[in-house]
Amino acid sequence: MSIGRTIICLLVALLLTSPAFGQATGTPKDMAGTGYYRDQDTLPGAIRFYSQLPGGEGGLWGLGPSRQKIRRSSFKMDAHDEVADYSPEVRCKKCHIPQTKDLHYLRMGITCVQCHRSQPVAGVYHYYSSLNPIRRHAYVCAKCHEGATPSFASYMVHEPNPIAPETRGSFPLFYYVVWFMLILASGVFLFFLPYTALWWIRELVAKLKGRPDHG
Amino acid sequence: MADERTRLKRFTPVHRLWHLGLILVFMTLSVTGIAWMFFETPWGRGLANLFGGYVNVLEIHRTAGLVMLAGFTSHILYMIYRIDWKGFPRSLLGPETLVFQWVDVKGFFRHLGWVFGLNKLPHFDRWSWWEKFDYWAVWWGLIIIGVTGLMLYNPVLTSDYMPGWMLNVALWVHRIEAVLAMGYSFTAHFMIEHWRLGSFPFNAAMFDGTLDIEEAKHDHPEWIARLEKEGRLNEALVAPPPVPLRIFYFLFGYSIIFLGLFLLVFAIANAALLTLF
Ligand code: HEC
Ligand code: HEC
Ligand code: HEC
Repeated sequence: MSIGRTIICLLVALLLTSPAFGQATGTPKDMAGTGYYRDQDTLPGAIRFYSQLPGGEGGLWGLGPSRQKIRRSSFKMDAHDEVADYSPEVRCKKCHIPQTKDLHYLRMGITCVQCHRSQPVAGVYHYYSSLNPIRRHAYVCAKCHEGATPSFASYMVHEPNPIAPETRGSFPLFYYVVWFMLILASGVFLFFLPYTALWWIRELVAKLKGRPDHG
Repeated sequence: MADERTRLKRFTPVHRLWHLGLILVFMTLSVTGIAWMFFETPWGRGLANLFGGYVNVLEIHRTAGLVMLAGFTSHILYMIYRIDWKGFPRSLLGPETLVFQWVDVKGFFRHLGWVFGLNKLPHFDRWSWWEKFDYWAVWWGLIIIGVTGLMLYNPVLTSDYMPGWMLNVALWVHRIEAVLAMGYSFTAHFMIEHWRLGSFPFNAAMFDGTLDIEEAKHDHPEWIARLEKEGRLNEALVAPPPVPLRIFYFLFGYSIIFLGLFLLVFAIANAALLTLF
């Protein structure tokens, strides 16, 4: 029984120390935005895994998200200078539907310009863009994620659709791992749901016939 | 006296405590995880508001995840302690252990044949193949969901040790494994353990630690035969627990079952409102 008691003590201790029980709603405490960031990653020479230049080889044996299509606007200072009907007054999501599907925007209610800093909106790879991978962690992510590093900033905020065929080329690990998990999960359901239903019917038939274990 | 002892000892207090802890922590993780997953829908937002908003939901989810991993670690330590190392690895085999063996492959196909009316119901020993599957499914589930959960616990720290885009992968693996674990528990597990005619409406074996002897004769005849042969059947028989305790087990069990079904039904009903990609 001492193991059981240890588990209970651990449970109670963890629950009591959890900030969740002392804190009302509001912005997360670690989202206060000290702007603290780190340029140094732990792994030596790690930057080469993280640099996300479009068209380049992906990090970690090409499994990472690097082989994106190259968009001309990505390198512009004003990404919209050739967009005829653009106006800062128009909501971004009118034109950029695929970019409205991420966690930050949908669930945390973070607006586009909190990351794509003020007008004119720069292409994400423009040399002076705050979202350029060389300073993205410091200028954008660290506003909310204390201690952000270049590695952290290589997280894809607008992640591609993991099961779409294009993702196999642009982010192979994402594609293969998600497909593997989907096949595993559907395999379990496809087997167990019909099987337990049939099993139930089989027990009913056996009971009606009064022969519980015969064939 | 002997006629009162209608139940067969099956689980020790430690096993039952673990299962109880697993239920409580798993349900906490399910409710908070689903609230976060469905946060963009009114239903998910409502669930999250019960805990005081998404900040608290995430905090509780993270804490409960650590408790789960602590429980898993203690279970592994217990297992290492319980293994008979002198007879290792042969001691892992035999009818008393949960290790998959050749009999389980046979049991699986014979049971399949029985469902389709091709042969007699196979005579299971202490553990049938689906009981072993249930046990190991928690292992594989906890490893997958635990590793990805730890990665998401502190994304900044995690990206010191691997590229940040691994978090995109981790979140999806975490989600799919969660859907698998909840979907399996709230359908197949409840169905097999509680809603089959033999066990309906509620099988309290994992709560009071004992199995009705009649039920055992049907589901585990080989086990009873073995106990009888070894002359241990008599000492394994016990009287049913007192009625108030049985009522309590039933009410507790069914509140968990209803909570699971509530999550399942509303998650399916709201699935179309989710933006996934
Ligand atoms: C009138 C439609 C429209 C509106 C409104 C609009 N955009 Fe764009 N945006 C475009 C088009 C078209 C492009 C060029 C796309 C391309 O090159 O693939 C673009 C490009 C961009 C890019 C550069 C893409 C890259 O590859 O780097 C960013 C960043 C961007 N928009 C952000 C925003 C933000 C933030 C807002 C809201 C303040 C916004 N846009 C509003 C149409 C629009
Ligand atoms: C949390 C920060 C963040 C928020 C919020 C955000 N973005 Fe982005 N955005 C990024 C980053 C980082 C990139 C670089 C590519 C990536 O990581 O997905 C990017 C890239 C883009 C691009 C280039 C094309 C692409 O998909 O890579 C467009 C267009 C864009 N964002 C539009 C928007 C719009 C519109 C919104 C609001 C609905 C928005 N962003 C909100 C961080 C953000
Ligand atoms: C305006 C604030 C803000 C900015 C800017 C921001 N984030 Fe976030 N981010 C959040 C909040 C809020 C959460 C969710 C809170 C939590 O997980 O505790 C979050 C969560 C995350 C997560 C965890 C996601 C998960 O699945 O649990 C990652 C990874 C992340 N952000 C990456 C980034 C990156 C990379 C950038 C820079 C491009 C960035 N964020 C910029 C506010 C922000």
